[in-house]
Formats: sequence, structure tokens, C-alpha cells
Amino acid sequence: MSNLLKKLFGTLLQKPWETERAAIDNAHEGKTFNISVQKSAVIIIFGIATVLFSLIFTSYLYTLPPDQDTNYLLRPNLLWLNTLVLFFVTYFFSKITNDLKKKETLKVKRNLLIVGGLSYLFLFGQVIFWFQLMKSGNYVSTNSYFSNFYVFTALHGLHLLGGLFFWGKVSSKVLKSDQNKILEEEKSISALSLYWTYLLIVWLMFFLMIYIFNDAVIAWCKSLIT
Amino acid sequence: MSEDNNDKIIIQSQSSESISGGGSGSTTDIDYVRPAEVGDQDLYHGHSFITKWVFCQDAKVIGVQYFLLATFTGIIGLILSWLMRLQLGFPELASFMTAEHYYQFVTMHGMIMVVYFLTALFLGGFGNFLIPLMVGARDMVFPYLNMVSFWMFFIAVVVLLASFFVPGGPTGSGWTLYPPQSILEGTPGSGMGILLMCLSLILFVAGFTMGGLNYLITVLQARTRGMTLMRMPLTVWGIFTATVLAMLAFPALLVGSLMMSLDKILGTSFFMPTILQAGEVLEYGGGSPILFQHLFWFFGHPEVYIVALPAFGIISDLISVHSRKNIFGYRMMVWAIVVIGGLSFFVWAHHMYVSGMNPWFGFFFATTTLIIAVPTAMKVYNWVLTLWRGNIRLNTVMLWCLGFIVTFVNGGITGIFLGNVTVDVPLSDTYFVIAHFHMVMGIAPLMVIMGAVYHWFPLVTGRMLSEKLGKWHFWFTFLGAYSIYFPMHYLGFIGVPRRYFEMYDSPYVTSAVGMNEFISTAAFIVGAAQFILIYNIIKSLKTGKPAGKNPWQANSLEWLTPSVPPEHGNWGDRLPVVHRWPYDYSVPGAKEDFITQTTPPSDVTNSEVEKT
Repeated sequence: MSNLLKKLFGTLLQKPWETERAAIDNAHEGKTFNISVQKSAVIIIFGIATVLFSLIFTSYLYTLPPDQDTNYLLRPNLLWLNTLVLFFVTYFFSKITNDLKKKETLKVKRNLLIVGGLSYLFLFGQVIFWFQLMKSGNYVSTNSYFSNFYVFTALHGLHLLGGLFFWGKVSSKVLKSDQNKILEEEKSISALSLYWTYLLIVWLMFFLMIYIFNDAVIAWCKSLIT
Repeated sequence: MSEDNNDKIIIQSQSSESISGGGSGSTTDIDYVRPAEVGDQDLYHGHSFITKWVFCQDAKVIGVQYFLLATFTGIIGLILSWLMRLQLGFPELASFMTAEHYYQFVTMHGMIMVVYFLTALFLGGFGNFLIPLMVGARDMVFPYLNMVSFWMFFIAVVVLLASFFVPGGPTGSGWTLYPPQSILEGTPGSGMGILLMCLSLILFVAGFTMGGLNYLITVLQARTRGMTLMRMPLTVWGIFTATVLAMLAFPALLVGSLMMSLDKILGTSFFMPTILQAGEVLEYGGGSPILFQHLFWFFGHPEVYIVALPAFGIISDLISVHSRKNIFGYRMMVWAIVVIGGLSFFVWAHHMYVSGMNPWFGFFFATTTLIIAVPTAMKVYNWVLTLWRGNIRLNTVMLWCLGFIVTFVNGGITGIFLGNVTVDVPLSDTYFVIAHFHMVMGIAPLMVIMGAVYHWFPLVTGRMLSEKLGKWHFWFTFLGAYSIYFPMHYLGFIGVPRRYFEMYDSPYVTSAVGMNEFISTAAFIVGAAQFILIYNIIKSLKTGKPAGKNPWQANSLEWLTPSVPPEHGNWGDRLPVVHRWPYDYSVPGAKEDFITQTTPPSDVTNSEVEKT
């Protein structure tokens, strides 16, 4: 981060009209960061998604009246299992990264299929949990606690589906290709890996927030100021 | 698109030896450029009419598509404003219009002009056309995504306009769409109208995100050799920073629209408190209308700068080119763009002073609002200082530039009034506010658009626009706009409220009636005057003077393409190499009064660039 800030301020302080500066600038390759365009796209999408999810979190905190049962989602349920599945996806992506380094392309193919399968399993688990919630009488309009949960999980799921679309494109290429071609896809696979790590982080943030911001914590905070 | 697609042509990457002075690897060579290290971009070239002009992946065509569609929506917005002014100035002639119609026209006019006209035109239109050309790229980095972005915008416009034809008509809740009013019965368009508005906004944001991703990555990662960030024209800086703002602000609009749709369709209560409707308690409860206001203005205020920053960048370049002077304080101009962009996220609640807030919050937001005036004023000084002792060409483009500076200062100063809580509260919801924001983010950016159209039309079409018609267009618009909005300040001071269908028997009637008639007449004339431009464009396309290459003798890369108008891929078989910033005008010792960005140092050895 500090390097990024240094780079930013260093850039903004340049004097492009000076002869000495011109000699340096002439040797510039044109790129700002030494990363692929795919990775750049994923990082920018992170920025947008972070704002989006932060706003939903803010809305959750803003609209949560004290009379709602804010411990419901924290009880043992399918949500915990789904979280575990998402952890596994990230784990297998890290394995893919290692396999690529070792040029073990068969393992890359296998693990790519596993991450896709696990991601679909996560989505399936989320839909099942929605049905369980509705069966227990907790609909999207029941109260703002559940409204926010449904909206967040829907958007998170859409975000994941977007990733799965690109996973499909990359995987179909990888599965058809020989070793050299697979290694050419390294940039795309590494971008996908970053994408899934981000999905896990957002999911954990959400979990942490509903864990922290519940009735017991609110009562404790109030006791501090009253 | 598979790689064996016959329609795809891979342009071979150039070798470093083919570049003047390149390839020696010696840093003592004053023309040294880094050898090309990455392969060139492969582009999809359309051959049929459909792939060349409809589902086209060329950013320039997409830019023109954005421009035309945004202009079309802008004309609808203009017609709506005429209808509003007819009601306000000459209600006896507008007997066909009910109060519901009026509110619907107000709402649609506001949303169309801000989002679907100005934002789409500056970022989608100018952004697409100019970014790849100005940074020396062949196209946007993701051309297919770019095409999808335009068609998402197209669908968003269709959905928006469809709301005119559904039962109940379009939403009439004001362009701010504040709930609970917007989704409750009694408000025009509270059924399908508001839902289509929300859906259209969601589509717009999704489409824009695809385009914005392209603008950002093209600027950051796809510039040509020698094009450092600080050698980019201010136009690119303006569009780039505005895109960053849009990417961070539009999610708020998306979340707000999505949640409001759910409140309407599924009965959630994100923004809905416990509320009565026609004496009946509704099932809503626990939500916060103020939350929507926060979300809306967290988008809404940066939106002002999403429109203004590209305008700032473009006007800087136009002033520099047409006064034959380097832009005064280039670095300061870049800093100001970045600082304004950053600060714009910390001022949103100045739109909510009358909603009620802790006085300390009011103090905070008033302070941040007034701080924005500092970098903005720096820009105004720098424009004036660029003009100072310049070799000013008083052509149509320059007239629009001068018109912009005056109008922007005017609208900016009234913004300083309204930034103060104590001044804002009595003036809130009066015509003073209408006058302020139309001056600062309506007429001022419009003047930039017009200046830019007259400036870049030769590049887009290869023909010049008529100067004579251009000057008529300018004077009608400039004088007419002041005839409309100057009196509105007075109306605001005497307390005439905005959004009122008619004045009834209020005490304002006597002094406001004559003024409203005058304003309406001016509005009709100014609106009609815009058709001078359309006529000029059509006439010039057929009979305009051929522009040739670089008719304004400008330095930036877009004017240096091998062909005019530039073809797909922009640069023929060789990408340009940049040796300097784009503002070397009237350099002492140089043969001509401009040195293009691609001119190597050895060609201008006698010039004293740093003394310009």
C-alpha cells in the first residue's frame, strides 16, 4: 500500500515539460503496473464490489431495530457448512497455483474441475438454506435482519456466478489444451484465484458482522454509555 | 471468438528498429525509446453492416453510438422541459397537462438529463472516442465488453422510455425518487413507473461498469510507449478520474434502486417505516427513508463531478489549443481533478440539510463543501491564466470555452451560498437551487459538450462544421441560458418553491408571473436554437469543408493518426511513440507554434521547451 501511495505521489509530482524528465519519460513502456489486464480487471471489480457490499453492510447496521432476533443465523445450520465449502474452494485454488508452478497440468485440470464443482455446491447449499429459512417462516419481508441476509446472499451468489462464467471459459480452454497452452492460461487462472479469495473474504466479513452486531453486543455497548 | 476466426486480424507488433532512434539501446541518444516488449492487440474487424456499425467493437463507433443515443434522450429531456415551462409560463395553453403529468415530466427530465444524457455523453461518448486515441492504444482493452456496455445502455434507455407507456405512466416522485412517497399510491407512476425507473438504473449501472472497467484499464495499462500518466492530456485525466468516481458511486444507486424495488415488489422494509396509506396501516415497518437519501446522495453528489471532471479536462485542452498556449499549471490541474474527485465523496449530506441532522454533521458537510471550492477555483484561475497573453483564436470553440468559464463561475458561486447550512435552509426547494444547479451542471457542461463537438467533429467525420452557424448557435444558447437562469435566482430569493405545478393564490403570483412568461419564452428559443447544431452537422456532413489532418494544429495524439477519420485500430501498422507532453504550444525557437507529442527531440533542438 505504501509503495502504491509512493508511486501515486511520485507520479503526480513529475514535471513532464522539463528536459531531464523527458529523457526518463521517453523510456517509459506505457504500463502503470506490472500486472496483466485480466488481473487489473479483477482488482477493479474488487473495488466496486467492496463498495457495493459495504453499502449493504451499512444498510444492515442502519435498519436493524432492536426487537429482532439477531442470533438466528449464528445457530448451527447449513450456513456454516457452506462457509467450509468456500474455504475448500480457496484451498484448491492455491493448489492450482502451486501445480502451475510445478507444470503439473493434469492436476491443474483436475483441481479446476473441483473448484467449479465446489462453487456450484456452495450455491446449491445457499439455495437450500433459503428454502429452510422460508420453511421456518423467515421470508425476505419478515424483518430487515432477514431482508438484508437474502439481499446479501443473492448478490454474493450473483458475484460468484459471474466468476463461474469466466471459470467456464478458462476451464473449457484448459481442458482442451496441451501442457504449453495450459501454462499460457496462467494469468487468467491467477486472476480467477484472486477472485475466489475475494469472495471468501467478503463472505467472512458478512459472517463477522452478523456475529459482532447482534443483540448481545448492542446491549453491551449500550451498557458502556449509559 | 476463437483465434481461428477469419474476421480477426492480428496486427503484428512492431519491432523496435522500426521506430525512429529506437533499437540502439543507448540512453544517451536523445530520441531513445524503449523497444516494444508486449505483443500488439488483436482486434475483431467487422465486415458486414451489422458488425461494423451496430454490434461494433471499435471504441470510436461505440463512442458515436453513445453520443447519438445520449443526444436522443437529451432531446426528449429538452421537450419535457418545454412542456414544464409551458405550464409555468403559459398555463392557459397547457390545459392538456395535469399536475400528475407535470410531476412526471419534472422527474423524467431530471433523471434523463443527469444520467442518460450528460453522464452517458461525457463518459460513454467522449470517453470511448478519445481515450484509446489520446493514449495511443489501438482500442479499449476489452472491446467485446465495451460493445456489451453500449447495448446495456440502449436497453436501459428503452426500459426508461417504456415507462411512458405503462398504466400510471412514469414515476413522478422527483428525480431523487425519495421513498416512501415514490412507491406509495397517490404518487404518479408509483406502480410500474417506479419499477421501470429502478430497473433502468440498474441496467445503466451494470452497463456502465463494463465500460468503466475498459476506460480505467486502457488508461492505466494500455498506453503507448513514452506516454506516462503525466504526459496524458487533461481530457484523459478528467474522464479517468470521473470513471473512478462513477465506479465507486454508482453501486450506491444500484443498491438504492434494488432495495426500493424489493420494498415495492416483495414488501421488504429497507426504506419503509410503519406508515399509513389512506387511513390504513400498511405492512411495512422498521425501515428508514433517510437511508435511501444517504444512498442516493452518496451517488448523487459524486455524480455532479462525474459530469464536471470530464468537462474540466476537455475545456482545459480546448483552451490550450485555441489560445496556442501551454495549459497554465498542468500539475496543479491534475492535482485539482484528483482532489475534487476525492472530496466529492465527503460532501453528500449537504443535499440533506433540510432532512434534519446533528448540527455537527451539518458543520462537517458545510466545511467539506466549501473546501471543494479551493481546487475548483484553482482550475478557473489556471484557465484564465492560460488565456492570458495567448494567441487567442476567437473561433466557435473558443466562444464556447469562454461561455463555460463565465457560466461555471456563476453557478459555482451560488453553490458556495448553498453549501452553508444557514443560507441553504431558507433557499432550499426554491428556484434559487434550480438556477444554481442548472448553471453549474447543466449549462456549463453543455457548453463544454458544444465546444468539444465543434473541436472534434473534423476528426470524427473528416469535415469542418460551419463557423457562421456555430456562432449563431453559441450566442442564442449563451444569452438565452442567462435569460432563463438569471431571473430564477430572483424567483428563489422571493421564495418561489420548486416542483409546484402552479402558484395558486400565493403572494408570489404578482412578481413571478411576468418573469415566468419571460423565462418560458427564452427556454423555447434556447431549446430551438439547439437544432442549429443538428442542421449544421447534417449540412457539414454533406458539404462541409474537408478538414484534412490536424486542422487545429493540435499536439495530442488523436490528431496524429495516419488517416482522418481514424480507421479501426487507429494507428495503421505502427503504434505512435510519445516524446513529450501535449502542451508544447508557441515554444520559443520552434519552427511552428506547436510541437506534436510524437515529435522527437532531435527535430526541435533549437526550441526552449521549458521556457514556454
